[in-house]
Amino acid sequence: MDARKVTKKNWIRPGMTPKEIVKILRGLDGVAITCTGMRDAGQSDFKNRHRIFDLTTLCSFYEDMLLFSTECHGGARWHVGIMNRKEDPFEEIRLYREKMPSVMLQTLIRETNLWGYRPYPKNVIEYVVKNVDIDVWRCFSFLNDIRNMRAVAEIVMKRGRLFQPAISFTQADWTTNDYYLGVVDEIVDLCGGTDEIVLCIKDMAGVGSPARIRSLVDAIKQKYPDLVVQYHRHATDGLAMPALLAAAEAGAKVLDAEEDSLTRFYGQAPILALQAYLEEAGIKVVLNRDMAVKAVQKVRDWIGHYEWAESPFKGFDHQVTSHKMPGGAFPSSFEQAQKGGFLHLMPAILRVMSLYNRIVRYFDVTPGSQITWVTCSGIVNMYEKEQGEAGVKHIIDLLTKFVEEKDQDFDAMSPEEQEELLQLFRRAPGDFKNLLLGGYGKLPMGWPAEWVYKSTFGEEWEERLKERKELSPLDTLQEDDLDRIRGDLASTLGRDPSEEEFILYLMHPKDAVNYIEFREKYGEAPLVLPTDVWREGLKKPGDKVEFDLWGRPYCIELVSVGSEYEGHIHVVLKVNNKTTVYEVETPRAKKVEIRMAKGEGEIGAPINGNVWRIGNPDRGTIKVGDIVHKGEEIANLEAMKMENAIVAPFDAQVEEIAVKLNDQVQEGQLLFVLKKI
Amino acid sequence: MEKKIKRMLIANRGVPAVRIMHTCRDRGVQTVGVYSTPDRLSSHVMMADFAVHIGEAPPAESYLNMDNLIQAAKDTRADAIHPGWGFLAENAEFAQRVMDEGITWVGPQPKVIQQMGDKIEAKRIAQKANVPTIPGISKVESAKQIRKWMKEDGVEYPIMIKAAAGGGGKGMVKVEKDSELSLALDQARSEAKKAFGDDTLLAEKYIERGRHIEVQIVADQHGNVLHLFERECTLQRRNQKIIEEAPSPSLDENLRHEICYTAIRLMREIGYTTAGTVEFIFDIATKKFYFLEVNTRLQVEHGVTELITGLDIVGLMMDVAEGKPLELVQEKIHMNRWALEVRVNAEDPKTFSPSFGTITRLQIPQGPGVRVASGVYEGADIPPYYDSLIMLLMTSGRTREGAIKVMDRTLSKNFRVEGIKTLAPLLLSIIRHEAFKRGEFSTKFIENHMDELISMFKERDSQDEVLKIAKFVAEITALGPQEWM
Repeated sequence: MDARKVTKKNWIRPGMTPKEIVKILRGLDGVAITCTGMRDAGQSDFKNRHRIFDLTTLCSFYEDMLLFSTECHGGARWHVGIMNRKEDPFEEIRLYREKMPSVMLQTLIRETNLWGYRPYPKNVIEYVVKNVDIDVWRCFSFLNDIRNMRAVAEIVMKRGRLFQPAISFTQADWTTNDYYLGVVDEIVDLCGGTDEIVLCIKDMAGVGSPARIRSLVDAIKQKYPDLVVQYHRHATDGLAMPALLAAAEAGAKVLDAEEDSLTRFYGQAPILALQAYLEEAGIKVVLNRDMAVKAVQKVRDWIGHYEWAESPFKGFDHQVTSHKMPGGAFPSSFEQAQKGGFLHLMPAILRVMSLYNRIVRYFDVTPGSQITWVTCSGIVNMYEKEQGEAGVKHIIDLLTKFVEEKDQDFDAMSPEEQEELLQLFRRAPGDFKNLLLGGYGKLPMGWPAEWVYKSTFGEEWEERLKERKELSPLDTLQEDDLDRIRGDLASTLGRDPSEEEFILYLMHPKDAVNYIEFREKYGEAPLVLPTDVWREGLKKPGDKVEFDLWGRPYCIELVSVGSEYEGHIHVVLKVNNKTTVYEVETPRAKKVEIRMAKGEGEIGAPINGNVWRIGNPDRGTIKVGDIVHKGEEIANLEAMKMENAIVAPFDAQVEEIAVKLNDQVQEGQLLFVLKKI
Repeated sequence: MEKKIKRMLIANRGVPAVRIMHTCRDRGVQTVGVYSTPDRLSSHVMMADFAVHIGEAPPAESYLNMDNLIQAAKDTRADAIHPGWGFLAENAEFAQRVMDEGITWVGPQPKVIQQMGDKIEAKRIAQKANVPTIPGISKVESAKQIRKWMKEDGVEYPIMIKAAAGGGGKGMVKVEKDSELSLALDQARSEAKKAFGDDTLLAEKYIERGRHIEVQIVADQHGNVLHLFERECTLQRRNQKIIEEAPSPSLDENLRHEICYTAIRLMREIGYTTAGTVEFIFDIATKKFYFLEVNTRLQVEHGVTELITGLDIVGLMMDVAEGKPLELVQEKIHMNRWALEVRVNAEDPKTFSPSFGTITRLQIPQGPGVRVASGVYEGADIPPYYDSLIMLLMTSGRTREGAIKVMDRTLSKNFRVEGIKTLAPLLLSIIRHEAFKRGEFSTKFIENHMDELISMFKERDSQDEVLKIAKFVAEITALGPQEWM
């Protein structure tokens, strides 16, 4: 197909079979673009804080931009969504579908780790993938362990959606073309050929030099001429543009880019600039430029609200070719370093990472990048804490000597140095240990050297080594009991969860519950409030926020904010012209803790009311230590003139009486603790 | 002897006090309101021409305090007292004391109150007037006595234990099985003592799937006894009515005639004066009705009768108290409408646990066919010491279906109470339930259908939702960006 003649009518759209999509791309005489403005752009440079409220302003432009797809889902966006933005990925997809029905929605999924950080059992994977309405499923493995992709691939392909297996790319002496061709062989094998997939080269750290990328794409296209290749690349090293051109020239059909106004340092290349650069080099680009220009402009309306979320570490970093920190992990790592008060150690941590990744070889992308980060920042912090600045320098020198001078020949190190290396991983995180034991799958270049195991597990290393699994977690993990998990959630919420709430819970149990509770309390605040109000509220009296909710207009206007008194601030708002006073608790508020009845022996109040009698008329007041009999009245509550007898549920000894006579109690409040006899 | 009422003290609070004051305003009668300490700023106090503090929060110190009430009437030179419902409405001693002070008592004679207040005596009189009564025993002393009666008369569980002096569901306990009997007896005795100061109890067979039908009577001091048709009061929770209607969908014309004239016969036998109600339990299976009790007072649900007949029952009570003959004849009293009432109680609609606090927002429904009797206002406090009733919503239509539609509109649109919970969601679920619409229900309807009714609660309402959003805006405005963001 002539790239100049692409229209919305003859272009790729949701509902097409993977075969049809692959056919169009194969026949295309130019390249198409996946726009990452709704996911990876925000993840890489703005800590994933871009809100649906702002992103949906782009939908009408995307609808006519002639994109291959919009990457708007997955990666860390799911988790950050429920934790920090209080948005859920399901409502996000629904809104995008409604506002840009012609655009393919794309996710990024971490094979068995889905959108979480640990391998999930097969039945969870199947259940979740089946219930998420996404057109393009980019799936990667931080180990390039293609076996782990099987469950996701099967469900996606069975649903008639496009599966996009990704090979995790890095530039190192061991990541040769032969290595990657072996990985591609496995993928082609898994997917039954090349007719229904698009292969992605995932250059998540932005480290592929133009020549390296040209060579890799070329090698793949030589072996599989019909395989459609997409190149995903971060800009961290500063060489994104020439690398993307090299990929296109070597035969890649789809490239990832983002709005120019969103670009900073660690995301994708600027879309308008990329189009111009490729066109000048004679490569046609499918893109409605007018619409793209409008999208780029639109971003400027709101991007200023996210300055606070940008990385404190600014500028391209060509050293990424050594430390390999992926674009998506940059802002969050720096955020953690800042919060943890060790921002000054970042250069040292990045240096240790560049040495570590030659000792334990895998790809720095989730969850691997987190394992690398926690392990390496842990080592550096430990040395700083114990030996100060000199210690940090010492460990870097030691590792440099071991890796670069001695080529990792353990025996070539002095006994003291050996001893120190054997302590290096002793405090490594559990995920690192799990990785060494095959919990995530097999490592791309085989298991690390023996000393790493000794260093990690100490004396019991041989014992632990026996646990090491050679099989994929898909084959070893025991299935979860979904009904039981759903029941757990229901009892936590006190109601039946929706299907979507259940899936959120399957991914991140604790954060999902917090999220659901937040939304029960604050409703659609995360969706309807503009970002400045969401983050900072209304600034001065008379400021207002207007929005539509379920087809009706609403307005919230600030009247006044009182001063803090005993941990409370009164905020007066006009809600649709009606004055409403809110009493806001500040962190200094004194919390009156009310104990609620929980366990079997804890007797709670059945209603809100007044404890007007403890005991009963026959025996009088009951005291701690008394024996009460099943069915015996032990207290009586009164509310609005109705009496409610509290009876002992079994024969028991009174261990505690948690209320006093004439206390006003609330429903569920602990009254007695009884010990069954 | 006619004695015109010029200034009337209403010995009550909330909904009944406000309701009675409305008729007083219509008649040009000045009103004296009374209040306990926590009620100082409540709705009926604002409505009254004069208001007098009568004591502290506990009812015994204020609204049940006869000395203070009579003193308040004397101090304000009130020439009449209306007791409303609840509190001292059926207290013969109070009625007598009011009369002894030379103040007009807007209610029945103390002797009648006494007789009818004693359920045992009332039952005896009913039997004398050939009114069918429920099998049972009076003056219950012990569980043993109840068991003996049950055995001798072949009565099986469930049974009801009632305060002989009772009413309004207080001191009334249903016993499902023998193991509950002792505790139920204690509870009924204690509640009866607390609510009525008299712990005499009686026990009766419990009529399963029974319907509560009551006939509104007005009678003057000149021997005229009229009925204003019946009301259906079957829908109850914890033996307290929450939805009432007039007429009853359970009766046909013949039964209606029979039950109304049975009530008249009984009230004649008693020598009743003023407004009162004869309650029956109607066994739908056998089409038989049994006498339950006489309520010697204005009832909460009198408004539906007013809606279908166009009469003002409080006004009629005042006429009777003034000694005027009723200017009505039975043949001229017609019902030309169907009316429905729901009780908006300040309670959690799922658990019925009382909800007190401040009403932060109150939007009272209006529109064709709606009557509202409210005892509160926006900003009012609901104290925990008294009855949970805050408002009565009544609707009327040409047919039952029409009245239900108006009630649906009233409850689902433009009625809002914020700050406290009310029964409104439950009430809406009930009137939307198919069985209710068909008129098929019993006193156990609510407990039998509770889960289903709760599942019908309207899930979300954009006005509630916007308040959640405003809460968030308020918090962030006060506290600034949050750590979790």
